[in-house]
Amino acid sequence: MICQKCGKNNATTHIKTVVNGVVHEKNLCGYCAAKEGYNSMSHNSLAGMLVSMLGEAAGVRTATSAKKCPNCNSTFSDIAEKGLVGCGECYKTFYEELLPYLKRVHGAAKHTGKIPNKAPLMVRPKELSLDDLRLKLIELVREEKFEEAAIVRDKIKEMEGKENV
Amino acid sequence: MSEWYMKKGDAVAVSTRIRLARNLSEFPFCSLMNASQLAELNEKVKAAILDSNMPFSKQLKFIYMDTVPENEKYAMVERHIISPEFAANSSGKAIVLSDDESISIMVGEEDHLRIQIIKEGICLDDAYDIAERLDTMLCDKLNFAFDIELGFLTSCPTNLGTGLRASVMLHLPILEANGKISTLADSVNKIGFTVRGMYGEGSRALASFYQISNQITLGISEKNALDNLKAIAMQLIEKENEERQSLNKIKLEDMCYRAIGTLMNARLLSGNEMNNLLSQFKLGADMGIISLDVNPLKIMVEAQPYMLMRKFGEMGPDERDIYRANMVRKEFEKR
Repeated sequence: MICQKCGKNNATTHIKTVVNGVVHEKNLCGYCAAKEGYNSMSHNSLAGMLVSMLGEAAGVRTATSAKKCPNCNSTFSDIAEKGLVGCGECYKTFYEELLPYLKRVHGAAKHTGKIPNKAPLMVRPKELSLDDLRLKLIELVREEKFEEAAIVRDKIKEMEGKENV
Repeated sequence: MSEWYMKKGDAVAVSTRIRLARNLSEFPFCSLMNASQLAELNEKVKAAILDSNMPFSKQLKFIYMDTVPENEKYAMVERHIISPEFAANSSGKAIVLSDDESISIMVGEEDHLRIQIIKEGICLDDAYDIAERLDTMLCDKLNFAFDIELGFLTSCPTNLGTGLRASVMLHLPILEANGKISTLADSVNKIGFTVRGMYGEGSRALASFYQISNQITLGISEKNALDNLKAIAMQLIEKENEERQSLNKIKLEDMCYRAIGTLMNARLLSGNEMNNLLSQFKLGADMGIISLDVNPLKIMVEAQPYMLMRKFGEMGPDERDIYRANMVRKEFEKR
């Protein structure tokens, strides 16, 4: 069977939709299927699960909340609909709404992987513990990143000062 | 250095892929980006990549997708360099590519950057090491969106944290024939890993090739994710090898020689038929039934529709079956 869109390749994706009892059939090649949007989202189990979980949550929430991300204007229902977050800021704006789903999808909601050299200090400096900062300092000195190391050293001093009070 | 499919890989473990999802903090994620932001993103990435102080800069090329012919985009999909979604919606986007195509960065896919390393055989640590070094260098030059609680911020919350998707492609014809894949896939799924067909998300298994990859990216370190995947892959490889030992030798020989017979003599070969025959040939060759210096992976990739058209010009599926059969025959006759 040849793809009914491009007429060139073999149709490998077969889509059947039923709207008001009327059955529509589409037979597309993989490339045309991707172009028409029949791709990863509907098949990727994890993302699909997320969309349906967020969808439920959005249904409950839209009535009460018209909160918008100050950076990209996304609402929680925009995010739920696509299963995609609008921008980095959305994770702060909708942290509480997203948290339960992050836990369900990943089983945890605390990053334990790589920390880039410059980012963490800019984003949430308060959240790094004294021990984290000491390790960070050693790492930065080893990498001869002295300017950043100086910032971390001052931070450690400041925190140690507070602990001693 | 040559492309991953030009080398044979291991008997069961065919190739390894590492992908890191990264975003720049100054732009919205790709689904909300406009054309001028996309152009700005391209230039920032280009400047960072081509900076002469970057150890990788000499082997990397920055390519605007608008300059890539339509058929070549799909040939890139067939070589596993870009995703089908990226090929289908590539206007204004770009790709960074190394000479041997083992390193690629899609700019403007679901995330601003999708750093990918692809290598033959199973080599998760080596492949991750390259991705990690490239990422660290880019981290210094670009402002990646990162949060100490949530890690690297990504367009889809399923990639949040490390942004790491590691996968190993395995050739599992006997586990498949013995009906064990779905049970194995279920148990692998329960511990946060997924089993899929050769061409990524949602794709059906092609000629007994399966991709095993991690799903969880938050609350797990890169090293643990890689170690776990390696352990699962090794178990699957061991199981496949175990079941191969109890095969009936004469049946196996028969299957392998029949496959070679068709591959060497057919005048028309559809992609599907060829893939299945090459899969049978590979099994026989890996089991030591036959010693022929033919690389089935190379043929499988090079005889995909757009790869054929890249070499022989535009043609329809019927004509491709002729060219495919000719190409396969020549590969076998050379030996």
